[in-house]
Amino acid sequence: MVKVSVRKKVKPQLKKYEKITEEIVEIAEKLLKENTVEKVIGFGIGIFTEEVTPIFISNPENADRLVFNSKAEMSLAKYLLNYKDQKVAIVAKPCDSRAIATYLAEDLIKRENIKVIGINGCPGIENNTACEECDIRNAVISDYTVGKKMTEEEIEAKLKDKEDKIEKMTPAERMEYFQKEFERCTRCYACREACYVCYCEQCFTEGNQPEWVGDSVKLNDNFTYHLMRAMHMAGRCVNCGACEMACPEGIDVRALAAKMCRSAEELFDYRAGIDSDQKTLLSDYDVNDTESGFME
Amino acid sequence: MMIKKIDKNQFKELFDKLKENYNIAAPVLIDKNKKTLVEYHYIDDFDKIDWDEQADSSPKNIIFPQNAPVGNDYKEKQYYDTEQDTLILGVRSCDIEAIKTLDQVFIEDEMYIDKNYKARRDKITLVGLSCPQRNKSCFCDTLGFNPVESNYAPLYIFKDGNEFWIKVKDKKFESVFENLPDGNQDKLEELIEKRINTFTESSFELDIPIPLPEKEMFEADIWEEMSEKCLGCGICTYYCPTCYCFNFIWEGKDGESTKYKNWDSCMFSTYSAHASGHNPRDSKEKRYRNRIMHKFSYHPLNYEGLGCVGCGRCIDRCPVNLDIREALKLTEKYLEEKGGAKSGKD
Repeated sequence: MVKVSVRKKVKPQLKKYEKITEEIVEIAEKLLKENTVEKVIGFGIGIFTEEVTPIFISNPENADRLVFNSKAEMSLAKYLLNYKDQKVAIVAKPCDSRAIATYLAEDLIKRENIKVIGINGCPGIENNTACEECDIRNAVISDYTVGKKMTEEEIEAKLKDKEDKIEKMTPAERMEYFQKEFERCTRCYACREACYVCYCEQCFTEGNQPEWVGDSVKLNDNFTYHLMRAMHMAGRCVNCGACEMACPEGIDVRALAAKMCRSAEELFDYRAGIDSDQKTLLSDYDVNDTESGFME
Repeated sequence: MMIKKIDKNQFKELFDKLKENYNIAAPVLIDKNKKTLVEYHYIDDFDKIDWDEQADSSPKNIIFPQNAPVGNDYKEKQYYDTEQDTLILGVRSCDIEAIKTLDQVFIEDEMYIDKNYKARRDKITLVGLSCPQRNKSCFCDTLGFNPVESNYAPLYIFKDGNEFWIKVKDKKFESVFENLPDGNQDKLEELIEKRINTFTESSFELDIPIPLPEKEMFEADIWEEMSEKCLGCGICTYYCPTCYCFNFIWEGKDGESTKYKNWDSCMFSTYSAHASGHNPRDSKEKRYRNRIMHKFSYHPLNYEGLGCVGCGRCIDRCPVNLDIREALKLTEKYLEEKGGAKSGKD
């Protein structure tokens, strides 16, 4: 890596993050030294800024560049798809561990190729509203764990009892809300690219025969994009909030995906990424399944 | 050249008078539900202008909108946003230089003049703003631009607390400002000098040949490392003040269609996809290489200056905080190890 003088000092972080960081560095260094993995995917700090950024470490001497703090907002799981045939370790927040479990359930990656450094007792990410709703704060899948496992009671206490303002809206109000949101969309597709679910080789937005969605940034096409993407989220979204964090226009992108999560749970008692052996929602069929999605 | 000095209230009066004859766009703070951002918008209230922060998106949005109907019948159909001329207030050096880049490509290139861009651009006057301080990610001074003053704007504002100095560089506008109190040129020079001194320490040191040597860089093995974390979204290009790639689309229904010129992004995998299925830039390192090379090699080869103005927006807005400065530093190191490469022009 380039050696340049760092202009800004890294902001001191809370104790709990420091501890987690130390543990991650220790495990990563060991894994690389012993050649258990070729690469560790984790969070680091930029050379010029104090912003958190994904880093890929292959030299054990650089393991101390790994950090974890309240700004580690990216979902790293998707990078695993770039290293399908390599042995890699990955630092995983509980939501990322759910994403990894879903990848395993969808048979996209090989369990023996990855080492998961799971974060237990995730303190949550700054400005990520998904964390306020998160009730899975320990890694669901891990080879090594860092942090301290949170008990049910501790998780319960962290949950913000917030009423869902969108569920409470009338259909007309809801339409108005989403119109106001989606008219700002520039279709930069950051939500799609940041999302671990969106790994299709060709997105429906990219084809032109047929052209499912128009190229221009217009309200109706923006709606088409967001609604169609949401339909692909059912039973796969882990409500990590990466889409919302990535959106440069501050759009409530997560609202639709979160609704799909709730529906999957209410209708089929299904939550994505709870364990790597679970069947995927849409590939599993039971004759007693509710058909409430069909109109009378 | 005319120099005027007014206070905030006088500027407000001036603004109200100007808006009778001009549409005025300026950076304003916008509540966007999950984020609050500063953006260029058409406004009619002087108090809304945010003078102190660099806008999160560039004035490109006004000069070169994301979707714009085009065609040879542009004038007849009155596709202008407006019949009136537009003043864009508070444009900083980086964005002025960026608009110069767009002008080079769309108007000044002898090979082709984009009539639609020109029609809109002819109705727009830039009112520059001397940059008060460095933003957290910008590096225009490293690239050789002057944050305090840019010569490409016919009107330039130097804001000092509640006082505004207006430099009228284009005679055409003198009549608009002639009734305002005069400013002392020496005092303004003093202010400029003082401000330049606050920028003496460069944001970071960089020593690369411009244009970057095309062949050497094309074959360099650094691109994968640079772009490993890139997600492949279009944020860096959409919020870049100089990125101008576009796509033509016909849209309509019931037998009528309109041709649109829409933004495109070289960071999208479909950008370079051929109808045959072949894609010459089929991986993100190739796409990232193209983005850097366009700004630091291809643009300087074909036009004057750079394709990057160091505004830092691609750094600030990137969802994974990919930093173009790190890429440039890596380029510098690579060329240094290669034994000091010559620029692509030699």
